[in-house]
Amino acid sequence: MSNLFSGINARFRGTSSKAPGQNKSPITTSSGQPNSPTNLSPGSQSSSSLAPKIPPLPSSPSLAQNIGMDDTNSMMSNGEDVLGSYHLPRPLPLWLNASYAKHIVKGNFMTLSARPKTVEQGEWIAHQVVEHYRNLWNFVRVIHEKEDDGTTICNPSTCPRMSAGANHSFTWLNAKREPVELPAYEYITLMQRWISGKIDDVNIFPTDTNGVSFAHNPAITTSPLSQLTNPGDKEWIGKRSGFPENFVEVCQTIFRQMFRVYAHLYWAHFIDPFYHLNLEKQLNSCFSHFVLTACALDMLKPHELEPMQPLIDLWAANGTFPQGCKAYEYANHRAGDRLMQLANIS
Amino acid sequence: MDPNRLHLNFGNNGDRLAPSDRTYPTTPSTFPQPVFPNASGQQAAQQAQGGQQYGYPANNYFPPGQYQQGYAPQGGDYGNAGYQPRSNTPGTNDPNVGLAHQFSHQNLGGAARGNAYGGSRGPSPGQRPRTAGGSGNQQPGYGYGNAPPLPTSSSRNAPDFQQAPERYPEKYGINSNNNQKKCSQLAADFFKDSVKRARERNLRQSEMEQKLSEPSQSASRREQIWQNGGKKEARYLRFLRTKDKPENYTTVKIIGKGAFGEVKLVQKKSDGVVYAMKSLIKTEMFKKDQLAHVRAERDILAESDSPWVVKLFTTFQDANFLYMLMEFLPGGDLMTMLIKYEIFSEDITRFYIAEIVLAIEAVHKLGFIHRDIKPDNILLDRGGHVKLTDFGLSTGFHKLHDNNYYQQLLQGKSNRPRDRNSVAIDQINLTVSNRAQINDWRRSRRLMAYSTVGTPDYIAPEIFTGHGYTFDCDWWSLGTIMFECLVGWPPFCAEDSHDTYRKIVNWRQSLYFPDDITLGAEAEHLIRSLICNTEVRLGRSGAHEIKNHAFFRGVEFDSLRRIRAPFEPRLTSATDTTYFPTDEIDQTDNATVLKAQALAAGKPIEDTPEMSLPFIGYTFKRFDNNFR
Repeated sequence: MSNLFSGINARFRGTSSKAPGQNKSPITTSSGQPNSPTNLSPGSQSSSSLAPKIPPLPSSPSLAQNIGMDDTNSMMSNGEDVLGSYHLPRPLPLWLNASYAKHIVKGNFMTLSARPKTVEQGEWIAHQVVEHYRNLWNFVRVIHEKEDDGTTICNPSTCPRMSAGANHSFTWLNAKREPVELPAYEYITLMQRWISGKIDDVNIFPTDTNGVSFAHNPAITTSPLSQLTNPGDKEWIGKRSGFPENFVEVCQTIFRQMFRVYAHLYWAHFIDPFYHLNLEKQLNSCFSHFVLTACALDMLKPHELEPMQPLIDLWAANGTFPQGCKAYEYANHRAGDRLMQLANIS
Repeated sequence: MDPNRLHLNFGNNGDRLAPSDRTYPTTPSTFPQPVFPNASGQQAAQQAQGGQQYGYPANNYFPPGQYQQGYAPQGGDYGNAGYQPRSNTPGTNDPNVGLAHQFSHQNLGGAARGNAYGGSRGPSPGQRPRTAGGSGNQQPGYGYGNAPPLPTSSSRNAPDFQQAPERYPEKYGINSNNNQKKCSQLAADFFKDSVKRARERNLRQSEMEQKLSEPSQSASRREQIWQNGGKKEARYLRFLRTKDKPENYTTVKIIGKGAFGEVKLVQKKSDGVVYAMKSLIKTEMFKKDQLAHVRAERDILAESDSPWVVKLFTTFQDANFLYMLMEFLPGGDLMTMLIKYEIFSEDITRFYIAEIVLAIEAVHKLGFIHRDIKPDNILLDRGGHVKLTDFGLSTGFHKLHDNNYYQQLLQGKSNRPRDRNSVAIDQINLTVSNRAQINDWRRSRRLMAYSTVGTPDYIAPEIFTGHGYTFDCDWWSLGTIMFECLVGWPPFCAEDSHDTYRKIVNWRQSLYFPDDITLGAEAEHLIRSLICNTEVRLGRSGAHEIKNHAFFRGVEFDSLRRIRAPFEPRLTSATDTTYFPTDEIDQTDNATVLKAQALAAGKPIEDTPEMSLPFIGYTFKRFDNNFR
């Protein structure tokens, strides 16, 4: 388990704030492309970073303690600074109001994300990919499925780009690996086709129950690994369960794509329609579970969370993310506390 | 602000995050506790946070208003609390109690159903701890289409945020609103199922760890235990992410047919394991208003792990059918046995009735009233022991909750089922001498069992007189079955259902023990203690009343299931259907029929059939013998 949860310094979040353009590099999913049903492949970058987004480093522990003594004001302004660095629209989006960041479930979501000790890592990742994809699609269906008159809630005029606020929009790589901007509706269509193409491919997600393996446990599994694999052979996650060499990479891409869709749902559709349809708690629960899982399994890197960073901060502050899990560590707690204060919850 | 909180939020203080000694929530002892398990420092910090209502209330997975009663996991108690809360419902005249009531627990946040069943549910129990923030959660009518969360201290003064508009679901189209319902229910189901699975998985994990820790275990054996454990979990995970479909099974034989579908003996292609597959025709279920029943059956079978209840392995669906994959019980049913043997000796009757008592007791302990106990629903397993089936679907269940339906039957004209052979039988005249006639009745009985109307022979009078009923209605049914075992026909047997209803309601006049059949005094006494008014019916305050009856003197109830049954099925193979009347059943399956019809009508097939709204959330997958 330790490899899943080895602590990452919370400061990573601050220091990792990229130089502009850093995430412009195309993702490495070339192996997935031949299977892509269209001449567009999921590619990917966060473009149009209109503002520098460099949250200040968290204070050193000594400073934190210092502040913790009595000076709440300086802390507040500190949190405010962090929030300011996110360049959020004002007033802040409704989903950052703690009263609307609640859940249909209580308890430690980590109990659902943590890999069972005996289960091989690749098998667990595959399971989580499919579960989260099914969850996400329940929400996408609401905005994406046509009414009888052919209209959809998410359409090229409401969402001309696959955006997550003013600062982020996501592009798709076409066959020439050029980033193209698409309306969110179309992006999501392509994304869905691409993901289900992967998930339904038994070469990537094997379903034969005879091919299963188990987690190696040095304390119990006394047979040397060499008996399970040939020594000179390349090793990768999921290999012994029949997952392909690029399996983790494919899953990371799937998680990244799903994250973008969630980000779009929050930034463009939280009120219209999810709040109106009384689905915001469901959305919160599924997305927070998604973030916890993705971080715990290293399917998403801290910098990839950026469009949703303030919500992650808030969830770390309001107890949605248990301490010690990676999502909690990726959060900026001062920003989260400030959001709680703004919502009059402290 | 509380200094503790700051302390918490700055995160890097070194007294938390000691990754090396972190235990993870898969540790069984810690799992059901939603508090993040760890060092005491963290706990304290959590509590400080909890004081702010933002920690993890230790026993509350689901906030109020979503899971009102049924699913309040408290410690390891998840799902066990059923009997208590549900027993509030019987005894009312509400037609939606019992199975349908159980059904209502599944429709989380679905507005329409919430209203339909809300009446019998009562307000949200007061003991639910308030959780985070405490706005809007406690509204009993949580659904959609409401105003924004109640303005509370938490949201009142928040000019820094976008203002929440008034919720306005009507602005969206029908499909969006349907998708809203699906989404709401599937999200709730996802968490409910995931928690249940994680809990069960941790139980298996701790069982395994116990085995591993036994000192006598050799290293190679330990390794084997570990590997097998991991592989079984992995097989289950693959099962979960694979969509099951009927093409994965080959049909051996059709072993039962009814108005809503059929039961087939099937074999899984990949591993050859034998199951009974019930397939229900969606359009029929929908037309005949059986959705609540189907859902209830799925729920009770999914929740139960009793040896007295037939096991459900998985459910899935396609455009036309719902499928339930269940254990195959090769011994057939009690109806077939009664048709074959006509009557049982008192000893044999004692055995079956005693087992049925235990089976009904098990169902009651799950919080259900079966209400349709009859010989067709009593199955015999490999060893000849009893299991109950047909919770809510069975053919006799047509609008069982609808009092009007029965009132019509009672007051209306004779309502002869079309597909039943008309056999002139006046129960008063039945004696051993006209067994031939009775045998005609028995044969027509099977037809009756397959019809939509079903047989009312075993139903308690209070169910269709509309004066309310409770758990003891199943004990009435027990009495009528016992009568049939000893006498050869059910006590209110009549030419058509209309007459049967009348006889049941006038049971004082119509209950008659034929002169030429000698019953033991105790047997007759027990029957008369069960076929009587609910106020004095034996079993009213629990199954023990019946178990203590003199008729059962000497019966060891606790070990009953382990003794040899009086009839043990003799089977030649795993797919032996000797005990099913397969030659009386048309072996053309419904899928073939439907396909032919669809082809003839040129009907298109839905593209996402599993998403058709009424059947949402039906799919279920059990970790069971396959993976154990």
